[in-house]
Amino acid sequence: MSESTEEIQRAPKQKPIPQPAPESVPFWEAAKRHRLEIPRCNACGKHWFPPSQACPHCLAADFAFVPVSGRGKVFSFVTFHRVYHPAFATEVPYVVALVELEEGPRMLSNIVGAKPENVVCEMPVKVVFDDVAQGVSVPKFEPA
Amino acid sequence: MIEPSRELRDACAIVGAGNSRLGRVPGVSSLDLLVEAMRNAIAESGLKVSDIDGIVCRGPDDIYGHHQQIGARLGINARFSTSLDNGGASQILAVAIASMAIRAGLATTVICGYGRDSWSRTHSSEEKRVLNQTTPDDQLPKEFAPEYGYFGAVAAHAFGATRHMHLYGTTRDQFGDIAVAFREHALRNPDAQMKKPLNKTQYHEAKEVVAPFGLFDCSLRSDGAGAVIVTSRERAKDLKQPPVLIKGFGSFNNLRGWFNDDNMVVTAAKQSGETAYKMAGVGPDDVDTAQIYDCFTYMVLTQLEDYGFCKKGEGGAFVSSGALRMGGRLPTNTSGGQLSEAHVEGMLQVVEGVRQMRHTYPAERQVEDAEIALVSGHGGNQVCHSTLILGKA
Repeated sequence: MSESTEEIQRAPKQKPIPQPAPESVPFWEAAKRHRLEIPRCNACGKHWFPPSQACPHCLAADFAFVPVSGRGKVFSFVTFHRVYHPAFATEVPYVVALVELEEGPRMLSNIVGAKPENVVCEMPVKVVFDDVAQGVSVPKFEPA
Repeated sequence: MIEPSRELRDACAIVGAGNSRLGRVPGVSSLDLLVEAMRNAIAESGLKVSDIDGIVCRGPDDIYGHHQQIGARLGINARFSTSLDNGGASQILAVAIASMAIRAGLATTVICGYGRDSWSRTHSSEEKRVLNQTTPDDQLPKEFAPEYGYFGAVAAHAFGATRHMHLYGTTRDQFGDIAVAFREHALRNPDAQMKKPLNKTQYHEAKEVVAPFGLFDCSLRSDGAGAVIVTSRERAKDLKQPPVLIKGFGSFNNLRGWFNDDNMVVTAAKQSGETAYKMAGVGPDDVDTAQIYDCFTYMVLTQLEDYGFCKKGEGGAFVSSGALRMGGRLPTNTSGGQLSEAHVEGMLQVVEGVRQMRHTYPAERQVEDAEIALVSGHGGNQVCHSTLILGKA
């Protein structure tokens, strides 16, 4: 391997920045203000995630993005040891968890503020926001 | 629960089965690997290519109009042809659709198969080797995944393993019993990609990939293909190979998502299996050998539970009892499976189910007195499932 190739591989690459689908724009706009907001159906009152423009519980199209508590529990989790993207080379081992929000929907995220070996299923967590770029904040979760 | 048609039970048979070279086959496209497997299946069946009037097939997801390209390479027109989009569940679905097409009079003889060039794709450059990604870039998630460092099928399935371990006390050591059993089977199969023995110490000492999965919990990156030929039971009688009866099939798709409900611990194998058992008129106690879609060790354990070979939560004890080995209660993935033979998205499990039902293997590879084989297919985004039950004629 040439020196220049090694330099490229060592150079810190930026983590992927979320590229919102049209239906997710309000979620990311709220996250930017450090608020966790997800769709709730005005017909049946249930929440859902990820965002879409009709309620997956009753198929009504009358809904609004509403603030949620940001509290939940770990439904399941995994610990990445392998580096799949160069920007995460300095992060391994890191935890990706499926967090079940108090309001019901499950959301993929990272668990921060806890060592991977201390993360367990059903562990209570609460949302925190990671400002990853100018105008972009990503919701993550820490032990509650 | 709907009632599957009993008219399909034993109505069709598999009369040809073949595989291509497996493992590392550089310089051959996935389409040509599939044609290689199809040529082998046609040759052993005693059919001529012009006898084939149906194609149901699949390849890597970025090949558009797959069945059209295969038809062109085989040099045939088809009364009935299509390519499928259910991931690893497609290959059994192809056999099911072929049987239905034949029964409906839309075709007489349908060739089914799948081919991939995943080893070559992921080793064409250093960057590709590191990413190990076979999904086309523009189909990868752009939000709610990559920003968290969440990539790949290993992690998706590992979520199910963690949850199962939490609910039922399942252990990595039990996953290891699956990996070791299938490696033993691969060593009896000269076509298998993996040639060296594997023991539990090596299993535990291997590098972690996405915990709870380590290296040997993960299936292989393979170039390879498999194919089978389906025709009516009557037509099968005059052909070269002992016909293998299609006794039943089923399908179920947990489209609400792997992360929804309990889908990561109770998979769509449950409903797919119930349908197939009903069509075939058999139950789990009648099954002599299973060929289970083993993209990861855990997926074998949970599917064995979902198919009723043991109760939910008891899969760990079941696999650790030695049940999956040759001579065990349910010899499973007797060609080595995707963990140790080659990963061809479940197609080689169909091929192996057929070969076991023919009883033409040497004794060390043959499941003794086997009359019923169950084959499973799992895939898509972990939510699609299909089941095939084969019988000795």
